[in-house]
Amino acid sequence: MRASDLLAMSLGNYTRARLRSALTTAGVAIGTALVVLLIALATGAENNVRRSIFSIGDLRLVTVQPFQPGASGLSAVPRTITDDTVTQFKRIAHVDGVYRQFDAPLGTVVEGGEDATIRPQGIEPGAPVDRGDLLAGRHLAVGDRAVAIVPGNLARIIAPSAGGAVGKRVTMRIGGAVKLGSTRIGGSGTPRDYALTIVGVFDEQASQTSMRIPLEDALAAGAENRGLTPDALRQGTGYSGIAIEADDSQNVAGIVRSVQELGFSSFSLKQVVEQIDQGFGVFRGILAGIGGVALLVAAIGIANTMVMSVLERTREIGIMKAVGAAPRDIRTLFLAEAAYVGLFGGILGLALGVGGGQVIERIIRDLNPRANPAAIFVVGPDLALGALALALVVALVAGFLPARRAMRMSALSALRYE
Amino acid sequence: MSTPLAVEAHDLERVYASGTATVAALAGVTLAVRTGEFVAVMGPSGSGKSTLLNVVAGLERPTGGTIRVGGEDLTKLDEEALARHRSKRVGMVFQAFNLLPRYRVVENVALPLAFAGTGRAERLARARALLERLGMSARAEHRTNELSGGELQRAAIARALVGEPAILLADEPTGNLDSANGAALIALLEELHAQGQTVLLVTHDAAIAAQAGRTVRMRDGRVVD
Repeated sequence: MRASDLLAMSLGNYTRARLRSALTTAGVAIGTALVVLLIALATGAENNVRRSIFSIGDLRLVTVQPFQPGASGLSAVPRTITDDTVTQFKRIAHVDGVYRQFDAPLGTVVEGGEDATIRPQGIEPGAPVDRGDLLAGRHLAVGDRAVAIVPGNLARIIAPSAGGAVGKRVTMRIGGAVKLGSTRIGGSGTPRDYALTIVGVFDEQASQTSMRIPLEDALAAGAENRGLTPDALRQGTGYSGIAIEADDSQNVAGIVRSVQELGFSSFSLKQVVEQIDQGFGVFRGILAGIGGVALLVAAIGIANTMVMSVLERTREIGIMKAVGAAPRDIRTLFLAEAAYVGLFGGILGLALGVGGGQVIERIIRDLNPRANPAAIFVVGPDLALGALALALVVALVAGFLPARRAMRMSALSALRYE
Repeated sequence: MSTPLAVEAHDLERVYASGTATVAALAGVTLAVRTGEFVAVMGPSGSGKSTLLNVVAGLERPTGGTIRVGGEDLTKLDEEALARHRSKRVGMVFQAFNLLPRYRVVENVALPLAFAGTGRAERLARARALLERLGMSARAEHRTNELSGGELQRAAIARALVGEPAILLADEPTGNLDSANGAALIALLEELHAQGQTVLLVTHDAAIAAQAGRTVRMRDGRVVD
């Protein structure tokens, strides 16, 4: 029998049994809609979490800490990061840049009064922390000495505005007593003053760092504070941290491993994201399973309906066989009827899922006007096609045994059936 | 005579198990029907006449002996080939009409061609032509539940003929018809025979059998004289 005739005949049978077809199709539609809704919402939730993570920092960064890998917090074992270590880091595959950091001791900016406590962070020009938009001025450049890039709140204490602070000369006092919040902390060593020119101002909301100064200045201040030479400080205390930039976020895992092998612990946003991805993967799997149960129920409904349909049409099957229907034709006829249930149910379910999702998203946004999340409900082409394919497969599997039974019926006994 | 044989059965057997006993519906039937003949097979209930017809139609497989229809050895055909045999080489008319209830008359008549793979336009055209030939054009587009018994059986004959079969098989075709319609139906079969159609008719009614060119009598699964 021609494929077009088979499909037309099945479609005719499908549409003729109006109520029955409507019910089985509705079952598939509900199951499909559930699968679509749940997975779309999970995808939206994942996207929102990733978006907030991405805003925290660059995924290509690996921050190396002067501790051994493993334990963290109070039980962390310190390790010194020396220039030799830096050379080793530079040799790791896929490393684009290695940037040294040294945190000078706590101090104040004299012109800002006793509230202007700072933790000067010594960095190299081009370091990842000193990128991004500034409120005013410029970033650290090669060869800079006795300069600083300060946060906006500090700039506003010194000058009337952020822009006004650029070019101002200030005094950084390292080593004296400082005020942290409402606590006074006794200083370490003799307070020493250093003259600095502010060259840039950054938005304190966007960055956690206190004040950025050239690495050499930080090392010099730290050394003087302890009565050491900068070289002795490098070898003895070592750097406060290293920022390693990977050429691509895919290579971060490898770099983290290499750093671990060299004996240091590190932190990378990429690994946090990977954990989250894993977590969401499991989450999506669970939701798909729940939706799958709904589809399973629909499948059982289809199978039951088809068994009854085959039984009711026993005579009809006998007649068709008597006038020349091949066994395979009969099976295809019934499988195609099941396929129509899956196809129309899948399409309807997809529409319901997408529509329902839009409604839910609208409601959530209306209830939370201040939050502005990324799309809460995401239906990509894979989800849409996957859901349709799933509905179709479920229907075909459900219809397989009834169709086979119809195929195997003896024509003569079928003809005698009342 | 060198006229090819429409049906050639030799020692045909059809045995099946019924509980612990075996029943021989056909116990060695030898029969030949020449092309263009109108043969009636007569016998009481249980004589095996319907089984014989079913074997010729390819609806039942013999358990012994040989059967050739239109030159084709049916015992060598698989299920798919037997299905083609039923759509092209034979056409069957049943006592209970056996038309599909939810389809129109013309669709029913065209059905064997649909299973034979003929395109829609062509098979509907051939169906309509046949219905015209049998005087049924007026009913062509009606659904089968709107037809009387006599009309249904005529439509069934049209369906049996649409594939231009070598042989038209009829199993008690007048069984569900009143005497007037029954007579009209046999007259139709005679007319078709006169136009060259080979007909094999099964009946328990001697009067109907007399209308055929030759009668074969069966009893207990065998041909008797």
